[in-house]
Parts: sequence; C-alpha cells; structure tokens
Amino acid sequence: MLSALVSGLVVGGIYGLLALGIVLVYKGARVLNFAEAELGTFALYLAWWGVDQRGWPWLVAALFALVAVGLVSLAFERLVIARMVDASRLSVAVATLGLMLLLLAIEFKVWGSGPKFLAAPFGGNAVSLAGVFVTPVQVFAVLAAAAIGLGLTTFLRRTDFGLGVLAAAQDATAIRLMGVPFAKVSAFTWVAAGVLGGVAALLIEPSIGAFAPGFTLPLFVPALAAALIGGLENLSGAFLGGIAVGLIDQLVRWQFVSSTVPGVQALVIFGLILVVLLLRPGGLLPAPRGRHA
Amino acid sequence: MSAVSAHTSVRPPSQPPPLLRVSGLRAGFGANAVLHGVGFDVEPGSITAVLGLNGAGKSVTLKVIAGLVPAWSGQVRLDGEDVTPLSPERRVGAGMGHVPQGRQVFPQLTVEENLRLGAYLLRRADRARYDRVVAGLYERFPRLAERRRQLGGTLSGGEQAMLAVARALVNEPKLLLVDEPTAGLAPAIVEELAELLTDVNRDGLTILLVEQHIAFALAVADRAEVLQHGRVVASAPVDELDRDNLASLLGIGRLMSASLDPDHGVGR
Amino acid sequence: MTPPTSLRLPLPRGKAGALLVLAAFAILPPLLGRLGVLTDFRAVMLGFGACYAAMALSLNVLMGYAGQISLGHAALIGAGAYASGILTGRAGLPMLAGVVVAALVGAAAAFLVGLPALRLRGLYLAITTIGFAVAMEQAVFRLPWVSGGSAGVSLPRPAAGAFVFTRNPDYLALVLVFVLGFWLLDGNITRSKLGRAFQGLRENEQVAQAYGVDVSRYKLLAFVISGALAGVSGALYGHLLLFVESRNFSFLFSLTLVTFVVVGGLGSRVGVVVAAALFGIVPRMLTVFEGWDLVIGSALLVFTMARHPTGFAGALREAREKKAAEHARAVQGGGPAAEGAVPAFTHAAGARLAAADAGSAGREVVLAVRDVRVRFGGLVAVDGAGLEVPKGRIVGLIGPNGAGKTTLFNAISGFVAAESGSVSLRGRELAGLPPHERALLGLGRTFQTAGLARGLSLLDNVMLAQHRLLGYATAPALLRTGGVARAERDLEARSREVVAALGMTAHADLPLKHLSGGQQRIAELACALVTDPEVLLLDEPSAGMAPAAVEQLAERLRELRDDLGRTVLLIEHHIPLVMDVCDEVVVLNLGQVLAAGGPDEVVRDQAVLDAYLGAGFAAKTKAAEVAP
Repeated sequence: MLSALVSGLVVGGIYGLLALGIVLVYKGARVLNFAEAELGTFALYLAWWGVDQRGWPWLVAALFALVAVGLVSLAFERLVIARMVDASRLSVAVATLGLMLLLLAIEFKVWGSGPKFLAAPFGGNAVSLAGVFVTPVQVFAVLAAAAIGLGLTTFLRRTDFGLGVLAAAQDATAIRLMGVPFAKVSAFTWVAAGVLGGVAALLIEPSIGAFAPGFTLPLFVPALAAALIGGLENLSGAFLGGIAVGLIDQLVRWQFVSSTVPGVQALVIFGLILVVLLLRPGGLLPAPRGRHA
Repeated sequence: MSAVSAHTSVRPPSQPPPLLRVSGLRAGFGANAVLHGVGFDVEPGSITAVLGLNGAGKSVTLKVIAGLVPAWSGQVRLDGEDVTPLSPERRVGAGMGHVPQGRQVFPQLTVEENLRLGAYLLRRADRARYDRVVAGLYERFPRLAERRRQLGGTLSGGEQAMLAVARALVNEPKLLLVDEPTAGLAPAIVEELAELLTDVNRDGLTILLVEQHIAFALAVADRAEVLQHGRVVASAPVDELDRDNLASLLGIGRLMSASLDPDHGVGR
Repeated sequence: MTPPTSLRLPLPRGKAGALLVLAAFAILPPLLGRLGVLTDFRAVMLGFGACYAAMALSLNVLMGYAGQISLGHAALIGAGAYASGILTGRAGLPMLAGVVVAALVGAAAAFLVGLPALRLRGLYLAITTIGFAVAMEQAVFRLPWVSGGSAGVSLPRPAAGAFVFTRNPDYLALVLVFVLGFWLLDGNITRSKLGRAFQGLRENEQVAQAYGVDVSRYKLLAFVISGALAGVSGALYGHLLLFVESRNFSFLFSLTLVTFVVVGGLGSRVGVVVAAALFGIVPRMLTVFEGWDLVIGSALLVFTMARHPTGFAGALREAREKKAAEHARAVQGGGPAAEGAVPAFTHAAGARLAAADAGSAGREVVLAVRDVRVRFGGLVAVDGAGLEVPKGRIVGLIGPNGAGKTTLFNAISGFVAAESGSVSLRGRELAGLPPHERALLGLGRTFQTAGLARGLSLLDNVMLAQHRLLGYATAPALLRTGGVARAERDLEARSREVVAALGMTAHADLPLKHLSGGQQRIAELACALVTDPEVLLLDEPSAGMAPAAVEQLAERLRELRDDLGRTVLLIEHHIPLVMDVCDEVVVLNLGQVLAAGGPDEVVRDQAVLDAYLGAGFAAKTKAAEVAP
C-alpha cells in the first residue's frame, strides 16, 4: 500500500499542476480550458524532437518545448480569446476544444500515431524509501511539481502584477480602472496555464514510459476533479486537491486491482465529483480566514 | 432655465480651461444608441453631478469618459489632452481616478492589497512617493488603517465606499469619476459619504459624480448636468437650478417640492 | 414559432412536404444503390453523416433549446447502442424492439444525469456530465455483463421478413427515415409550449417561473427527451457499424458532438444538422489528404469560434435580425416621442373581471401580507412588514432606496424565502410554495430589471406568458395532435392581437433585445397582464420613462383598475404617478412599514419625508437656504 501512496503522490503532483492551470484560466477567463492537458503532450513531442532528432540534452529540449508551448498559448490568447470577450463561455470552451483537436491533429500528422520514448532526464537506480522503491525521477517529479506550484502562488501573492492577475479574476473591469494592463494579465494567465501543462507532461512521462497523441487526455478529468475539490477559485486548493485525487486514484487501483469492475477508479472519481458539487460546491477545503489566492 | 451646454459659451481668455471637456458623445450597445450627442465641461476644483432617470445615459456617459465603452463619435479631453483614443488603463495614467458603481472593492484581497493595486502605476514609477501617499491615506482614513489586513469583502458598506475612494486617490488623480456611490448604502452612511467627498474636494480634487439620489447629489455638487434620453437637457450651477423643472424631469415631483418647502406642505 | 428571420431554405413544408421527403428518403437510396450510383462506401459515409445529424438533433434539444450543458452525450448514445446490441445481437430480438429499448435506456440514463442538473448550473453541470461520460466509457461499458465478455457488442442489420438491410444503401434509407422523424418531432417541440418552456428556462428561469413554468419538471423533461433521441441515434449508429466498443463513445466523441452543435449554431436545427453531416462526410471524403483534413478542420474550428461565437446559423440569424430590426425601427417611426409611448393595450391583453362594487360594505382582500421577515445572512432586509391589497384597487409601495421593497415582492412571489410571516392570496396561504405554483394560483409580476426572455421574440414572450392557460400534455404536444395544433393557432392569434395593440407588430418576431428599454418594460407589463392574474405585482413600471410616457402609463393603470377590474400592487419611485393612480399607499423604510393610508396623508408625513431625504439633508440641502 505504501507504494500506492508514493505513486499517488507523484501522480498527485502532476494532477496538481494541471489543476493549477485549469483554475488559473477559470479564474482569469471564466472558462474551462480543454486544451490544458494536450498542450502538455505537444510539449512532450517538441522535447522529444529536440532530444531524439537534434541531440540536445534533456534540459535544453524541455526548456525549448516549454517556450514553444508558451508561445502557442500566447498566440491563442491574442488571436482567439481576446476577440471573444463578449462571447458566451460555452463558445470559448469550444474554441479551446478546437485548440486541443488542432494539437492532436498536428501530432498525428507530423509524428504519426506510433509511440515515442523520451529518455528520462537522469537515470539512476530505484532507491528504497521506507520500504518502497522510488526512482530518482519520481522524486524529482514530486519536488519539481511542489516547487513550481509554490513558486507560482508566491509570485501571484507577492508581486504587483501577480496581484493584478488575482484581482482580474475577481473583477476584470475594476483592474483596468486601476491602470493594471488587462491585456498583459490575460496573456500571462494563458501562457502560464500552457506552461504548467507542459511541465506536468514532462514530469509524468518518465513514469509512464511511452507517449502518443492524446497521452495526457486521461489526466484531464482527474485534474478537473482536483480543481473542483479545491474549489475552482482557489489556487493552493487546486494543488492540494491534485494530491488528494492522485492518492485516491492510486489507492483505488491498488485496492481493486483484480476487480470485476474495470475502470472503477473512474467511477470513484465521478462519485467524488458529484458529492463535492452537490454538497460543497465551493470546494472541500474549509473557508479561509485569510486570503485565498 | 437655459438648456445651454456650457461648452458652447464663450470663455474669457483669462479663465483656465476646463479640466474635462466632453463634446458630441454618441455611443450605444449593438444597434441601440444610448447617447445622442452629450457634451459638458467640468471645471477644475468643482464637483459636477450628472443627473437623470434610469436609462437616461448617466452611467454610459461615465463609462465612455472612462474608456470602457467606445464612443461612436465625439471627444473627451482631459486637461487639454485628447484622451478619446486611449484605453482605460492609459486614461488612468493620464490622471483619471475611478470609484466604480457598486464600489467594486476586490473582495478576496486585503485593504492593503486593494490600495496596492490602485497604485499599480505609481508604485512602478516612484516607490517612495507611494509609501508617503499611502501613509497619508491611512491617516486620513483611520478606519482603513485599523482594517489594513482585512479582506475587502468583509468590510461594511460604508467602509467599502471609503476603501474605493482611497484606492482611487492613491494614484493621485486629477479627476475623480464617481459612479452612483450611494447605491445600496444606508442613509447614515450616505451622509458620511457626502462629507467624505466634500472633504476630498476641498483639498482641490475635481469630482465628476453620477447619481440617482437627488438630494445627495444636490447637497454635494456645485454644478449639475441633467441628462434625458441621452442628451443634456439642463446645465447650471446647483444654486441656480429651477427646482420645479428639475423635479419634473426626474419624476419625484411633489415629494421633492414638499420637502424643500419649509412648512413641508404639499402642492404649490 | 418559425421566426421570419429563420433561414428560409426551400424545404418542402407541411404534411405533403413531409410525405414527399419520406418517399424520397425511402426510395432513392436503395434505388441508386441498385443502379450502382450509390456505392456501399458512399452509402456508409452518408450513413455516418445521417447518424451524426440524429445525434446532433438530440443534443440540440438539450443544449440548444433548454440551455443545459451536456458534455457527456456520447454516453447516452452509447447506452442506446449497447442496449439495442444486447437485445438484437444477443437475444435475437428485432431491431424495432432494440430501438424502443434504446430510447428507454437513453431516457433513463439522461434522467439520472438530469437530477443533479436541478441543483447545478453552467460549469458545474458541465463537469458532472464529463464525469458521467468518463465513468460510462471506462467502467460501465466495459462491465462483463454489458459487453458479454468480448471487447464490445455486435448489432446485426435489421430484417423485414426475409429481406435484410445488409446493403448500406438500404440501411441508409432506414436511417434517413428516422432522421426525418427526429426532424418532425423537433418541429413539434418548438411549436408547442414545450419548446417555449425550454427556451424560457434557458433565457431566464425566474421569468419562466413567474409565468407558471415548473422549471424542474421541464429541465428533466428536456433531459429525458434528449436522452431518448440520443439512445435511438446510438442504436442507428451501432447497427450501421455492426460492432461497437467503449472506444466509440469516448469523452472525446462527446466533445466533438458539442463542437458540431456549437459551430452549426446552438438552437438552430438546420445549422446543427448541416454541421454534423459535414463532419460525418467530409473527413471520410478527404482521406486523400491523409491527416491534413484534421489539421485544417480543427484550425477552422478555432477561428470560426473566434469570429462567429454563435456558430454559422447564429451568425446568419444575427445578420438577418439586424436588417429586420432596422426596418422595424423605421416602421415604428423612431424618435423619442414615438418610442416609449404607452399605447392602449390593456383591453387586448386582459380579460375583464367583475369590478369590485363601488362603495361595497366590506373590502375583499385579494392579497394579504402579515409580519413577513426576510433575512440574508446577518442582514434583515424585511422586518415584519405587512400590507393588504383589496380587490379592484391599486396599492402603491414606496420608500427610499434599500428599503426592502423588491425583497418584499420577492418574498410574496416566492423567489426568496421568508423566515416568518404569512402571505395569502384570496385566503390561500402561499408559504412554502415555489414561484411557479404561486403564478399558477394567480400571482403575476414584473421585475425591476426587465423580466423578459431577451433572446426570444416578443411574440414568443407573450405566448410563453400564457403558458399556464395551455392545458395539453407532453405526449400530444410531441405528436402534435389536432387539439394541440388548434390550441397553438388560437394562442398565436390572440398573442398577435396583443402585440398589435402594443403597436409593436413590426417587432413581433424579433428578439426582444432589439426593443428599447422603455418598449421592453411596456411589453413586460403586457406579458404580466396576459397571464390573467388575480393580483399584479409591478416593480417600478415607470423606471426610465419620459414624463409624457408616464402620463400614458397612468392612464393604462387606471384602465386596469376601472375597466378591467384588476388588483395591483406597485413599487414606485415616481411620486406624482403614485399620487395620481393609487388608492392606498404603503411606505417601507429599512424593512419596516413606516406609514400606510391615503396618498395625500402619507406624503405629508414627517417621518416619511425624513426617511427619503435623511433628516440631516433636509437641513443641509442648499435649497433650504433659499427663501421660498
């Protein structure tokens, strides 16, 4: 069971990053970004291209991929989102769906549907930690996810621009009347979300091995559940929600490994979503006394 | 009472130009025009109130001046500068301060953070001056100083109004645009708000106020511009306003005249 | 309810038209198949297009008409496919049985999803449907007893006697006939109270309730109908493919369905069918492009959404509406005088009730409010307020901003729960009743912020307002029996009369948002009247009106009382109007009744004056310094 807990933490960190991206965009634009996860797969392909086709070291390829994905998100925000300010949120969600499909289509076209392998950034044998085997990469993934999550929330709370991002989520018009450049805030929101998706995919891939178009899709719904648990408006909650969902997911799989009901963890997650929405739509975390970023 | 817009009158050369000059504004939503050529001046150091019934175009006028709603035609000049092509953010940089409708205090940020945001531009320009300005504001509004770390959403209505005004002042604006400040406030708070605005104006800040609460507006303002169906139908210093005409334009007829008659009788 | 701005395609209409299309669908494909023109491959492509069209129509009922987001529709479709497969493939029953069961299973599953929809809205509902879809795809469809041990389920082609629909063109004919059936059913929905109720709950739930629409019931109904149609389309799809597995009904498929419907134009059955058919046919036609079709298609999707968020049909409709609206404004004779006038519509809109006998000994009280208390968290908005509205009288409710007037209205009409106190209509206690039931008992009201369904046409609003007067049930509506058709014709005729009396005939079929604010308020008044209420609650009817229009409004209100014998309670800020028209006045301040009585005495009451102006102001007002 401990190994389930450990893998739960790793997966949870990833869900947490994705959930952060989802909540960031939801707060900023009131819309569910369906492309969030697939931007990650796209980053993986770009990193793979860098390592496999250009011989770059993993770090360089990863950075390249993240910058590229950031640019894609920026382009999307400028060309599409900024033009849809008055459109219904459903239409905007469909636009993000379109982006997801576009990324999938490009992946299929350029790289084909066969699996690709991206070598882990560093090897090393599995180490025994409290009786459980963990690879260095897994440890790195957990630490990196936590660091990035923490870094982002700190940036948002401490800097003026970050404060502007948080405030824009509460009232976009009012921040313009304060002189805060809304266009930049919006762009930041989407770029950050895209980069988070990229980081999430890069960190999880070594644990899973091979990837193909749509690799990150199965991560999207649990990440959504995580965002809900934290209460769609709460960034730190989203990350913690991710950990929680990761743990639940792995524990359920471990428990029902030879169950007659396949995919039971999907049922459990659905049940969880329903429970949260019907009983505490504001999220499971207790209402904060201090601020909620 | 003359329905003359001030900007068509001739100004003597020695008189300083108006701080805000709005002329020929036409604007609306979709195909519906709401403003049909609104124009007036706001003199420096004055408090000007824009009055009118619901739907007359008061709020839209303010939003056009702020830059949130594009003008189909017409001009907005702030301190001699044509700000019509500027975005709302740049107009703030040019010296406009805003107290939006409903106050729009950021509910999940603390009082301190609300003020920081109000000073977004100032903090980047001159951090030291920001510190001084904020200290000054805390002195002036001790209740805000006490609640520095409290979330905006937990403040009372009156405190939020105070915060909204302080947040606009922190950027040291030339002109303060205030949109229906009394909406949703209890009468006692409304009185406090009137004092607050008069105080702030006494220090030299020019205020443009849009308001539905007539008595409040008339108590606070020196000049009134009355809008009806998107046009300025009356423009005069508050002292010279024809009460009957105003009352009938605003539909509070007999009650208003009843109150203003020292014997509180009805009917004239 | 066919708006003139709808796409006037040269489609055959009426019963004759339907028969013609039926014949064409039934005869042409098999014929062309046998002639070799329609190959098996082409027929399967068209079959995909037709199946997607059926699926899109089912989703359109839920998302387009009723405005309920469903991002898990593939699960409902899959449920139908699996159900039919189990019955026909495994149990050997005929396809007809499979289709019927598919409809029932789809409806049942949709009902389950619809239950949370009663409490959730927008994004939360969307997430619930996503979770449902994924759970179905990953767990339910893979259950051993569902998939029978193999990876999926087989669905054989149906047979009619000895003839089996093995050849694709033959099966295509069958699918097309079903699609025609869906289309006709869809038309029956939109032209009945069902469609209007759905659209009402999409546009403005509060207003729909005020017109007597049981919002919960209609939401579930929308899910059930949509689910049944989805189930049938799933069966059709499954029998086309001959074998389905959980992968066919993935979450991604649900999302692509949503894109058809949104890109085609939510709410437009032509738009969604065209979009779905194209998505079904074109990619298969362009296989020569090997993968580029997907790239181009999705890029197009993204940019289409950016430029036309309401979809193709939506963009077309908006363009036509803009033209029609300009024309209507010209016909109306623009200019502030004509606009905002309050024409004499009361006689057309309201039936005459027996007026109260003038000077009768007792005054029969229609609406009695006693000691109502409403609390929001720590704030007491209404603090033990009470009033009585006698039959055939107009009572005015006045008070300064924030006094609690609208909250009191909300408590009376059931939109807000009163902590204590009683509200009774003709002696009947209303406590605990939801708003739509109070409306059914005869409580009519208008809202402070134009309570109308702005996206619907003026005519539709007037017709929706009379929802409670239509007695027919759901099944006859779906089948459009003679009774239903007659009732609808009468309703439309009556409604057009009201619109004509309002002087807004040119705007009748245009969405309300094209009317000016003042015109909308007048339309709202007419809609409230047309519900035939025992008592009319009017919230600031004169807001935003020019003085001349207010005089006309006063005339209309007097007509309501004197000619039609109506009972009215109105909130107002316009004191002269109140003085003119009201028999009694109640003053509310800080949630409590400050004074009540005849207009003259109330307005002179010192306490009332202080409340309005704040005791401090009466002294500070500069006017006080001016000698009279």
